[in-house]
Amino acid sequence: MLAGFVAGSLFPFYWAFTVGSREPGARVSTPLPGGHFLANARRVFDTVPFWQALGNSVLVSAAVAASTVVFATLAGFAFARLRFPGRDRLFGIVVAGLAVPTQLGIIPLYRAMADLGWAGGLQAVIVPNLVTALGVFLMRQYTVSAVPAELVEAARVDGCSPWGAFRHVCVPAVGPAAAFLGVFTFMTSWNDFLWPLVALDADHPTIPLVLERLQSGHYVDYSLVLAGTTLATIPVLIVFVAFGRRITTGIGQLP
Amino acid sequence: MHRRVWKCLVIVVVAALFSASCGTGAAQGRITLTVATFSEFGYDELIPEYEAAHPGIRVVQERTGQGGPYHDQLFTRLGAGSGLGDVVAVEEGHLSDVLAQARLFNDLTEIGPADVKADRWLDWKYQAGRARNGALIGYGTDIGPLAMCYRRDLLDAAGLPSDPESVKSLFATWDSYFAAGDTFHARTGKAWFDSDSQIFNAMQNQLPTGYFDTDDRLVIDTEPAIRHNWDAVTAAGARGQSAGLTAFSTDWDAGFAAGAFATKTCPSWMLGVIKAKAGADNAGKWAVTDAFPGGGGNWGGSYLAVPKQSKHPREAAELAAWLTAPQQQIRAFAKTGNFPSQTAALDSPELLGTVDAYFGGTRTGELFAARARQVGKAQYKGPGDGRIQENVMAPALHAVEQGEPPEQGWQQAVEGARRIAR
Amino acid sequence: MTMSVSMRSRAPYLFILPFFAVFGFVVVYPLIYNGYLALFDWDLLDDSPAFVGFGNYAALLTDERFGRAVVNTLSLVALTTVPQLVIAIGLAALLDTRRIASRWEIGILLPCAMSLVAVAIVFANLFGPRFGLVNDALTAVGLDPVDWQADRFAAHLAIASMVDWRWTGYNALIVLAALRAVPREPHEAALLDGAGPMRRFTSVTLPLLRPTLVFVAVTSTVGGLQIFTEPKLFDMLPGANGGARGQFQTVTLYLYQAAFEDRHLGYAAAIACVLFVVIGLLAWVNYRVTRALAR
Repeated sequence: MLAGFVAGSLFPFYWAFTVGSREPGARVSTPLPGGHFLANARRVFDTVPFWQALGNSVLVSAAVAASTVVFATLAGFAFARLRFPGRDRLFGIVVAGLAVPTQLGIIPLYRAMADLGWAGGLQAVIVPNLVTALGVFLMRQYTVSAVPAELVEAARVDGCSPWGAFRHVCVPAVGPAAAFLGVFTFMTSWNDFLWPLVALDADHPTIPLVLERLQSGHYVDYSLVLAGTTLATIPVLIVFVAFGRRITTGIGQLP
Repeated sequence: MHRRVWKCLVIVVVAALFSASCGTGAAQGRITLTVATFSEFGYDELIPEYEAAHPGIRVVQERTGQGGPYHDQLFTRLGAGSGLGDVVAVEEGHLSDVLAQARLFNDLTEIGPADVKADRWLDWKYQAGRARNGALIGYGTDIGPLAMCYRRDLLDAAGLPSDPESVKSLFATWDSYFAAGDTFHARTGKAWFDSDSQIFNAMQNQLPTGYFDTDDRLVIDTEPAIRHNWDAVTAAGARGQSAGLTAFSTDWDAGFAAGAFATKTCPSWMLGVIKAKAGADNAGKWAVTDAFPGGGGNWGGSYLAVPKQSKHPREAAELAAWLTAPQQQIRAFAKTGNFPSQTAALDSPELLGTVDAYFGGTRTGELFAARARQVGKAQYKGPGDGRIQENVMAPALHAVEQGEPPEQGWQQAVEGARRIAR
Repeated sequence: MTMSVSMRSRAPYLFILPFFAVFGFVVVYPLIYNGYLALFDWDLLDDSPAFVGFGNYAALLTDERFGRAVVNTLSLVALTTVPQLVIAIGLAALLDTRRIASRWEIGILLPCAMSLVAVAIVFANLFGPRFGLVNDALTAVGLDPVDWQADRFAAHLAIASMVDWRWTGYNALIVLAALRAVPREPHEAALLDGAGPMRRFTSVTLPLLRPTLVFVAVTSTVGGLQIFTEPKLFDMLPGANGGARGQFQTVTLYLYQAAFEDRHLGYAAAIACVLFVVIGLLAWVNYRVTRALAR
């Protein structure tokens, strides 16, 4: 059953690689990869500024993921384990924030970015994504599960400030969720297309923008596009392997 | 998370914001002009030449792959009042929306070089780039004059004439085209064309006015010719002439490989598409002929415009004028196959000498230059015309192909057009 | 929550300040802007919008297309949320018992890492109505091919399969992370009482997972109500937004069409506001109900 699920999850990747390793325009007759992946990859590098986009994407996605994790962990802890006036109402705003349809934010946000002089540069895609309501919600729910209130109270009795309780009790326990949130945010940012398309200029491409550029001309060269998308997945895989273990082996880190 | 990790995260955020805030500084003392294009305009080699000839100017090309996202970006930045290039490409289908916003663009007859005259372009191409108040909003780049492509072997099999001369009788008028389609379908059981909307668009573009009259009133339900074309196409489709394959979908690609339809409305740039989609297996089966039902037509091609947002409008207009000069467009043609809209370019030996082996050695340059001169007067297209074609008529026609009664499909089309026209 | 530490200081606000500072700028400000926009008849590039008060909302009430979009959206929410939740819990439980190399477990998150360009191409190959792989398989086993684009329910199924493919692994991992974080003692106590594995899971583990399950249920409902990318990519007609007859047009696709194709910004903003209120209410109710159950 698990194997079936994994096979189902991986099939589209296999298919993308299969087409990406064929000669351009080759007929799809066998479900086996061809031997042209490297040649197609070279065409990707010749057609678009892939390495520049890679640098930009790594910078943007790493910054966005890091800040989302930091701010969501802080806010999630406050909402889960600190008591203060207006807490439930403020958390209600976070939950409501999940409900805002993103498509219409584009025009007002672009105007704001232009007024600040940020439109075109990487700030324009980093700043609006520094926090997410989803992240705060996730960290709050996880903190309720994983950080017993007794421990926070004990830390408090020992003379810890809220900050101390956060650092010594909360931070060590929420590692798996924080790592998950980081990986997930990195990935979402890595694949974000519509906002970067509007907000960035020609000097600051990210990976999805150059991948889209592979589809120029009057028809789509599938072998080129899918070779490009396969290449673009590799950095995400690296992040997966680097942080993957944190997510699934959280237990036992409790002090 | 350990404290070390925590610190690292903070450092990453700060470093990223810092490095982002000191982005690329433009070279001192030079004007930077941005040229925004989509798909393939063939300017990569031209731009360095322009820079070399104009030492005070740096030109940055901002390229998007597909027309859809490109024009979404164009109109968002137009609405926001900033962020557009100094020179922006506008595709023919989106031109009506740009012309409706003429106040946001420069009149090129005012700021462009004085030696750039109307006679540089085919008259219909030049006229289509002008707004209602007469301002010239765009310099024409390329065009897509329409011819007919057809499967020689399939026509043979149906006992229809198939050589490029005698086949012209089938493609003389829309009536003869649909009649031949009935014969073909009866004898082979196969579809005659790829989809209703490909045929309907060509018919629609031959009318004297588009979906609006010259006072910008929507005429879709008052102009009998539009309804007449709708009825003719959907009836032919219902008789089995349409393969119902949406253009540029993966099914359409597969349809080319499988020989699912016998004819294709064929702008010049479609030859490359057919070659790629039908593939080497079908080499020599496709042919192209110097004929098109109902006269001439055009599908595709673009303009270069200079938005009012540009800080260097005169320099931008000069660049756009240079890029759209015949000498440059001939080189863009050699690189990309984009068919030039300039009369001098249409007479050039490079273009007239083009031969296409895949299409049986046809002199395609000569053929499409002749087709370009067959295009009639520029049709007036009111604001939203292109969107009605793309977002209303194409879905409504496809709905009929999927089994919706034509009358209901027509209602859907009229309502959709009214929503866009408002 | 009764045992939360009470601290009378400004510290808690400092914890949430960075979040709300950015949130106010990127979420609240556009929202207010839209609320204002919804009161006007406003073209994307219009200079002189006309004030129409609640006219846009009134028009929405009688708009058949909006009604159809709501029905399509609810159908997709049902077809995605329920299977995702069930499969995600099952999968997490399975992964929890099997100690395969944990480094690789994150691989089930892979589908949402795939570039959307590639997702679109692959699923178009799979669900092509005339030449798709799924129909090839159906005809190979003697079944009739299905028109995945034209048939309303078939299209919903195909889109739901795309959504489930992309997001089930994501939800399973969240549940798995929570599963490994819950204390083991109650579990061991139940084991001593002789409870079987299934019973231990349903009566001991699941209740402890509740905060996380609330999260998964709320976010997948909210995500389902805002479903946009998958139906947009699934549509073979570039100019349509959810099928030639709107047979799989969702509320957000209709919103997108109103804003960017009809260029009717005021109307689009009204749709956005209605959608926001509905989702917000549902999310809040969902949250309160599940929280009340957890007490």
